[in-house]
This record gives sequence, structure tokens and C-alpha cells, in this order.
Amino acid sequence: MSSIDHIRNFCIIAHIDHGKTTLSDRLLEATETITEREKQDQLLDSMDLERERGITIKSHPVTIRHRTPEGDAYIFNLIDTPGHVDFSYEVSRSLAACEGALLLVDAAQGIEAQTVANALLALNLNMTIIPVINKVDLPSADVEGVMEQLEEILAIPGDEAILASAKEGRGIPEILQAVVDRVPKPRWNEVDQVRALIFDCVYDTYKGVICFVRIFSGSLRKGDTIRMMSDGTKAEIKEIGIFSPKMKPSYGLDSGCVGYLVTNIKDVAEIKIGDTVTLHNDPAEKMLPGFKEVRPMVFAGVYPIDTSDYEKLKVSIGKLRLNDAAFTYQSESSVALGFGFRCGFLGLLHMEIITERIRREYDLDIISTYPSVVYRVDMTDGTSREVENPVNLPDSSEIQRILEPMIKATIHVPSTAIGDILSLVSEKRGWVEHTDTVDSQRVMLTAILPLNEILVDFNDRLKSITRGYGSMDYEFVEYQESKLVRLDIMVNAEPIDAFSSIVHVDKADSKGRMLCSKLKEILPRQMFKIAIQAGVGGKVIARETISALRKDVTAKCYGGDISRKRKLLEKQKEGKKRMKQIGKVSIPQEAFVDVLKT
Amino acid sequence: MNRLQEKAQGLKQGLYLHVPFCARQCDFCNFYQRPPSRAEVQEFIQGIADELDSEPPPATVDTMFWGGGTPGLLSPTDLRSLAESVLSRLAKPPAEWTIEMAPATVNQEKIKTLLELGVTRFSMGVQSFQEPLLERLGRVHSLSRIYKAYEILRQCGADNINLDLIFAIPGQSLQLWEQDLAEAIRLGPEHISTYCLTFEEDTALWLRLRKGEIEATAPADEADYYLQTWAQLEAADYAQYEVSNFARPGKACQHNLDTWAMQEWAGYGPSASGQQGQLRYTRAHSLEEWLAGLKAGKPAYADTVDLSPGILATDALIFGLRCNRGVNLDAWAKRFDMTGTALASQLNTFITSLTEDGLAKRNGSLIQLTREGRLLADRIGVEILELSS
Repeated sequence: MSSIDHIRNFCIIAHIDHGKTTLSDRLLEATETITEREKQDQLLDSMDLERERGITIKSHPVTIRHRTPEGDAYIFNLIDTPGHVDFSYEVSRSLAACEGALLLVDAAQGIEAQTVANALLALNLNMTIIPVINKVDLPSADVEGVMEQLEEILAIPGDEAILASAKEGRGIPEILQAVVDRVPKPRWNEVDQVRALIFDCVYDTYKGVICFVRIFSGSLRKGDTIRMMSDGTKAEIKEIGIFSPKMKPSYGLDSGCVGYLVTNIKDVAEIKIGDTVTLHNDPAEKMLPGFKEVRPMVFAGVYPIDTSDYEKLKVSIGKLRLNDAAFTYQSESSVALGFGFRCGFLGLLHMEIITERIRREYDLDIISTYPSVVYRVDMTDGTSREVENPVNLPDSSEIQRILEPMIKATIHVPSTAIGDILSLVSEKRGWVEHTDTVDSQRVMLTAILPLNEILVDFNDRLKSITRGYGSMDYEFVEYQESKLVRLDIMVNAEPIDAFSSIVHVDKADSKGRMLCSKLKEILPRQMFKIAIQAGVGGKVIARETISALRKDVTAKCYGGDISRKRKLLEKQKEGKKRMKQIGKVSIPQEAFVDVLKT
Repeated sequence: MNRLQEKAQGLKQGLYLHVPFCARQCDFCNFYQRPPSRAEVQEFIQGIADELDSEPPPATVDTMFWGGGTPGLLSPTDLRSLAESVLSRLAKPPAEWTIEMAPATVNQEKIKTLLELGVTRFSMGVQSFQEPLLERLGRVHSLSRIYKAYEILRQCGADNINLDLIFAIPGQSLQLWEQDLAEAIRLGPEHISTYCLTFEEDTALWLRLRKGEIEATAPADEADYYLQTWAQLEAADYAQYEVSNFARPGKACQHNLDTWAMQEWAGYGPSASGQQGQLRYTRAHSLEEWLAGLKAGKPAYADTVDLSPGILATDALIFGLRCNRGVNLDAWAKRFDMTGTALASQLNTFITSLTEDGLAKRNGSLIQLTREGRLLADRIGVEILELSS
């Protein structure tokens, strides 16, 4: 093993499609870490969804052996970080495992909001940033422009940038050399006791929980009894090893190394990302900085479309949870949708990923209710509670005030779109704190918005206003008091639980009207008139009426064939069986689904 | 003998005979029929005699109905031998005896023979008084043939005539339908049946609909046809007694009324349906299969239903409520042993909600659908099926 001076731990920060995967592959090839064949294998191993969306959900660390032209041997640990704002805490932990970062920017696209957010995170962690301008071979490449952006937005001198084309292999030796020269050697190794950072974990059916760790000080060996410093959990190391790039067991890991460890812990929920591992018998005094407990920010009900799929859904959700401690769930039932689960997610994208995985990997047809954030409700009796399901909002007479989570959003848009974006922000009850000019064509807005308001269509609207060129990043800032009410939708005076939502008082009317008119379109006529109402605290704010069905009769000559007629009715009855009964109104489940989908 | 069988002792008895032949198949019809050869007609007549032998009808039959197909297609001689083989097994001719006729098959000799045999009621498939619509339906008769046939019937002394009409034909307007009804009323039959065109699978009309050559009337518009029919016939003193049926006083078709009241009837001939004791059945559709069954001494069925008391009880409601006279719930509960059952109480709740919605009215234990309710009779039927499941 090389001395700690010859270890470099770094990651790549990049926006979707800016070439992160290609660059990683080139680095692995140039250092002969993987062969062609292995490369294929590795691609196959990663999730379809990750590849499709160009985002990394789980970290993929890899240990690279690099020999400089002068003949010096180095060990590089490249940590592929999760790339989305929903996972910003995980991102920060992955970053914390490194001393340096390659900031990869597409020469044609320039710096995007997500890149800025992650680069700022890295700078805050005192990491060294090596800017790499990729795709310089593209005709539309604007290298000078990107350099200016680097200076203006991130205060990184443009001339530090390495020009590269990962696709063509250009700039790869320069990048490898820059890692050696510019990334500092492993830090925080002055403590005697073991301190290792858990920056990710995965679940393996055979091994149980596999923790990805970066050792800062001391050494860990197979058989050691370790302690999780956040809560004192004790565990024994069953296996320890490195990524080369697949997991390869070794006798142990030393200061400065990146690798994995398997313990007797079987539940990911017992492992906290960002926790510090130390030895049970010789514990460190202080944890590594930056640990916090992650809590879901966005909640939604997830239901099987076919109610008989409930058990299957339960199993699928349980399996997903094994690998994702940030995802929470508990069973709930809804009059409209039957039995399902209230799930907690880190953010909208996390929610999309989980629901999409349930659909694809477990082949389940599911519907999710409108996402909701966690509200803090201060009660008149002085107590306080958290409400994540609108149905559980206490009666308004018991509520002193409601607080909602606010976020700080960093929005990158073309300058021409600024007017539309400002109105979008204000429509979403937000305000812009400041506007920064990125370059002659782009601006960066910093806005404060209620999290609730960006849940449904904010990103879609942003993309459509900017024809796809806008990007956004956000972080939670604080809870703030707000005039919030519960909007209920009633069909013939019976509330439909799945459609209840907590909305700002100013938005109740328009949302109520929208839902009523949508339901009017979708609900089948019944034998009687149906009143669809939207109400807030017993007051009706919107109303639609579906007139009664006029005709459902056949006048046909049956020639005494009672069976035939009866069979036709039986068939209709079967169709009705799949309907939900709200009072005496039969509503096909598809109707709920249609409303929730739009 | 169980209690239900005992109760069945008091049931009205009907006899349905299916004549499976037509000159050609109408484009909307999916009843079993075929253009006959001489040999097939003879095999059929013999088959009926054999079937009557192996499954004799009750000695006393209240009503008889010959449908098809076109029973009227048979020659007077054939009709006579068919009639004789049925009548010879009955104590006396039924009080009501209907035969279906296509206008093209009506001639003096035939009608006289039938009247002489004891036929009391003639049902003629007119379908429309509009030549283009008749063509669209693929009917063989021309307009003049309809008038001619009607005239012959009257001349021969037929005093109980039904005319079948069809509405919601592609190309028909509400106005044209009004004219059809007016024309039927002008002729003055004792009974008028109005059927809404349905596109039965594999009929010529259905194929044309599928190919997009014709367009079906929107279900929402069909309601206007129903309401127009009911109003216009009512105004002309044809009282509605069932969704599709209208008659002058005392001229309702008793055979059909008994069927809808879940009485009993024996069915003979290919494709004939019957309901006797615990069994509801439809005989094999094809002539060959039906004959083979007879030969083997084992009746060939296309469909049988083991009649549990529950099925009969719900059907009595479903079909009974389609009739204007409605259903007497006390009598119903008594007949089907439903007094105090969960179904009876659910039914009561359901009927209360129907009356609240203006779809039914309750007079003591008598339940009748309102006009609006009758327009929703199928939906109400589905609800009743749901209650009973």
C-alpha cells in the first residue's frame, strides 16, 4: 500500500448530460481499472432508471491505481455522487468523503443550477475544485463563456479549467495529473482513534447492509467491533474491502482509504448516512462534522390501482425501503382508493423515482395522491404537531397557527424568460431575494418559496417557459407561518378523502373550482343528480352539478330468452363491482386516478 | 315436492315454439334462422312432434307463442300439421295464441288456415314505414307489401294484430320516427311493439357499423326516441304496459306478461327458450344439433340455468319493474319466501331511494317505476342484481 501521501479522494460534480459517465469511463480505461468487458457489465449493473434520467441515485465508488509519467504510484478513489437536489444531504456526505472535485461543465450548455449548488456545497466543505470544460469539440462550444461563468458565479479562475472531450479522450492525462497535483492528500488524519464516514449504504440479500465508508483516521480490520457514533449502535465487521470496481474483500482499510464494510446489521434503517464509525473499545471523542438525520419532506399516498395488488405493493415497498432509508412508509386506507401506503420522500424526484421503480421493477399499476409537505400545527392548547396527511389536519377551532416549510430556490434561466419566471414565482407565493447575471444571456434568481408550491408543476412550468433551458435547485430554509386551510372535495356531501389537500387560503377557490370541473368531466352519470362541491371548513367555495343519467334501458325483443337479458345485466354488474361507493354514488376508480393524474 | 314446487302449481303455463326459418336474414337480426329446404322443413315438423312426445307440455296451456324466424314462412299445410301436433297434446286450444308473420309471407289462405286452427293474435314485423330505412335493415318486404298484408289480415278477420317497429335506425331522425308511429296509429292495430335497434354481434348491420359505413344513434339521443314513442302512443290510446309494448285495453300480450312475471313456459324447437320447475333453458341453436339431440333421446341445450329461488326472485323484480303494472312487494316476498330477509330490507331501502329520486312510486306494497325510472330500467336491474349478490 502506498503511503497516505499517495492517496487522492475525489468526485465529479456535473449536471445531467454534461458527460459525467463518459468521463468516469475514460478515467477507468486510461488507468486500466476496467476492461471493455467489465465496462459493459458495470453499465448493466446500474439501474435502468438512473441511466434513463441521467441521474445517479446511489454512489458508485471505485478505486483506481494510477501511475504518473514519472513512475509514482497513486491510489485514486473516485466517488460518483448522487446528482440531485432531493438528495443534497447524501450529496454533501459523498462530497465530504473527498478532498477534491472535478467540476464538469458542458462547453455548449454552460453552468446549470444543479452544478452551482453542488459546487457551492463542495466549496463550503473546503474542497479543491478542478474545473473541466467538457465537449470542447462541439461546434457550439463556448469555452470562453464557460470560463467567464466560472469566475462570475463560483469565483474560480477560468484559466484553471482543463479543456476536455471525454468522448474523444481529450484532456484525460491532464485531468489525471491535476488530481495528483491539485487534490490535497487525505485530511483529518491527525486523530489517533478510528473515524470513518458512512457516505452511502446499499442492501444486499445475502450480505445485509453494505456501508460505503471513507476512513479519515485509524484503521479498520475484519472482525473489529465498531460503534456508530450517532447513537452508539454496536456491530461487528463481517467483511471489509475496496471497490475495484466491484466489491473486493481485503484484510482491512487504512487512513485515507475508501471502501465498504459489512456488519451484522440487516436493516438499512439502522444505518445513518453521514454517521461516524469508530472502534467500540477505543472510540473517538468527536464525530466527523456535518452529520444530520434526514427526514422526508414530501408525503403522498401510494395505492394499487387494482385493490387486489395491495399485498404485492406491500412487498415491493418493503424491498425498496431496504435500500433507501430516506424513504418511509406506513399503511393507510382511503375510502376512494382502498388500502395503500402513506410514503415519505426526500423530494419530488425521490417520489418519482420510487413510484417509477414500483411500476417497473415490480410491475405494479399504482396511483399516488397529491403530494403534501409536512406542516407544523401549533394548537390552541399550546401543543404542537406535524401533519403530513391533509385528512389529519385538526379542526380549525383547535388550531392557533399553521407553519409550512419554505425553500430557497436557485433558478437559472435565459435572461429573456425573467419576466415570466418572476410571475411564476409570485404565483407560487414566493419572492425573489436577488438576481445575478450569469453572462449576457443568463440570469440566476434566488427565490424563497413554500415547498408545497413547487410540488406539482413548478418544474414543468419552468421548463416550458424556458423551452427546457431553465434549471432549478432548492434547499429547505425554515418553517414559516402561513394562512393555510384544508380544501375538501365532496360528492353529494360525502367528502372524498383522496382529494383533500392543504392549500393557501388565496388558492382554495381556484383549486376547488378546478377539481370540481375536472370531476364533472370524469364522473359517470348516475340515476340521480350529483352535486360536486369544494369546501373549506364547512363553507362551499365551488360547485358543479352532474345531471342524472337519462337513459339506461334496452327495448329489445327477447323471445322469452330471459337468460340473455340477465347476462347483459350481470355483465354491467361486474363493471360496477370495480367502483367505489361514495355515499350512494358509484365512482369508477379510474375517475379518481384520472383526476389525480392531471 | 318442495314448497317452491308446490307454489309452482299455481303458475300460469305457456308454450313457445320456435320456427327457425326465414326467407333471408335481416341485417339486424341474430336470432337463429335459415332459408329452408323442403327436407329441412319436414325434419323440423317431425322433430317438434318428437320433442312434444319426449317432453310433453302441461295439459292446459294458457298462452302459446310461435316465434322465429318467420313461422309465417311455412305453407298452410305445414302450419296445419305443426299446429295439429301441438294441439293434439293439449286439452284445449290456448286462450291466446300469437304467431309472428313477416309481411311478405302473409296471404289469404295462410291467414284463414291459422284463424281456423285457433290463432288469436298476429304479430307482424313492419319495422318501418320508410322505404330507405327498410332497405337499410335489409328487410325483404316493400312498403306496399306491408299495407297489403295488413289488409289481408283484417279482411280475414284477424282482430288482434301487433305491429313491430324499430327506432334509432342509422339515418332515421326523430321526425321520421314520429311519422312511423303516426302511420302505425293510422292503421290502428290492437298492439304496437317498439324496439330500439341494437347492434348484435356478427349481424350484417353490426359489421357495417364496425366498418364505419353507418353511424349508431347516440345513447343520449335514444332517450328522445323513447319519450317520443311513449307520449305519442299514449296520446293515441295505446297504453304502455312494458318498456317496448303498447296495447289497446285488454289487448296486452298475455304470454309475454306471464314470461316477465316468472311464470312457466315450455319451449320447443331449435333455439327456443323455456322455464319450467328448476330449469331455465335455451335449446341448441342449429337445426342439426337440435335434431341430433332428439334422435339421441337427450335434449341438446345451448344454455341452461339451475333456477335457485334467488334467481327467480330477482328476475321477477327486474322484469316485473319493466312492466307498468309494477311489482307487488308483499306478493313477491310471499311467493319467494323473502319476508324478513336481508334482501327484502335492502330492497326496501333501495326503493326508497328510487322514490326519492323520482324514479319509482310506492303505493302500499305496489312498486311501479315512473317514466324516468323506466328509462333507467337496466340500471335499476343491475342495482337489484347487486343487492341480491
